[in-house]
Amino acid sequence: MALDMLVVDDSPVTRKMVRRAIGLCGLEIGQVLEAGDGAEALSRMAEHRVDLVLADINMPVMNGMELVERMSADAELSKIPVIIVATPISEQRIERLLDIGARAYLAKPFRPEALKDLVLEILGRGESHG
Amino acid sequence: MVEATPELLTEILGSVLQDSAFMFVEPTDEPPEWGERVFTATLAFESVKGGTLRLTMAWPVGVELAANMLGTDVSDPEAEENGRAAVSEILNVIGGAWVTRYFGTKVPSQLGLPQALLASKPATGPCTCAALVRSETGDPVLLELDMD
Repeated sequence: MALDMLVVDDSPVTRKMVRRAIGLCGLEIGQVLEAGDGAEALSRMAEHRVDLVLADINMPVMNGMELVERMSADAELSKIPVIIVATPISEQRIERLLDIGARAYLAKPFRPEALKDLVLEILGRGESHG
Repeated sequence: MVEATPELLTEILGSVLQDSAFMFVEPTDEPPEWGERVFTATLAFESVKGGTLRLTMAWPVGVELAANMLGTDVSDPEAEENGRAAVSEILNVIGGAWVTRYFGTKVPSQLGLPQALLASKPATGPCTCAALVRSETGDPVLLELDMD
């Protein structure tokens, strides 16, 4: 079944790069939605069901940390896995992100294969994706 | 903590450009010729110490950076349109690499939001350490560090 994804990043270039990586990673992809910050991501998810969220951390309006917290607090959104795709960060911050509900962290720049491996690993854990 | 040296900045700048955009640069001592337009971006960071990184790129390098990041050609109008955003994003990645290399991954660190603009000349400001490189086309790229 094709995966619908939401790419959340305040940089339009990065959103396009991530879209390109998704296209190259060999997964069956359905719709790829975009949002420029966490608040916009929540709006997108209120309108469209997605199977996976790829989110940056440092964003204006609502950052990736708050987005993960909001999603974790919501019965439906908490079922959607979130992969944080961000610049290198401290171990403490990675642990915090995983503690509050992010499923994985991928450091920029990344190879499409690394994204594919993470997505398959997460879906292989029995996440809902339909 | 490693030492903040021009060599470290050069290494980080080179590896990020290579890994993010397949761009190769080499250190240079020659005075930079910036041309009529430059991309300048700044990024604040906070960790054990705070400071600012400033990245300046000759216009053709910024456009090539955008083209490579987007997977398009430098002649594509999309590359020029996204030059500022590309320089901003690459400084964001450089910032992450800098704080984790310099301060390590055991201590908390925080990056601000990068601010980039297209200007007629490079921005100036306090600088404690800098790396000047040139692209394969010979255009300059300058990474400056100002640490508290």
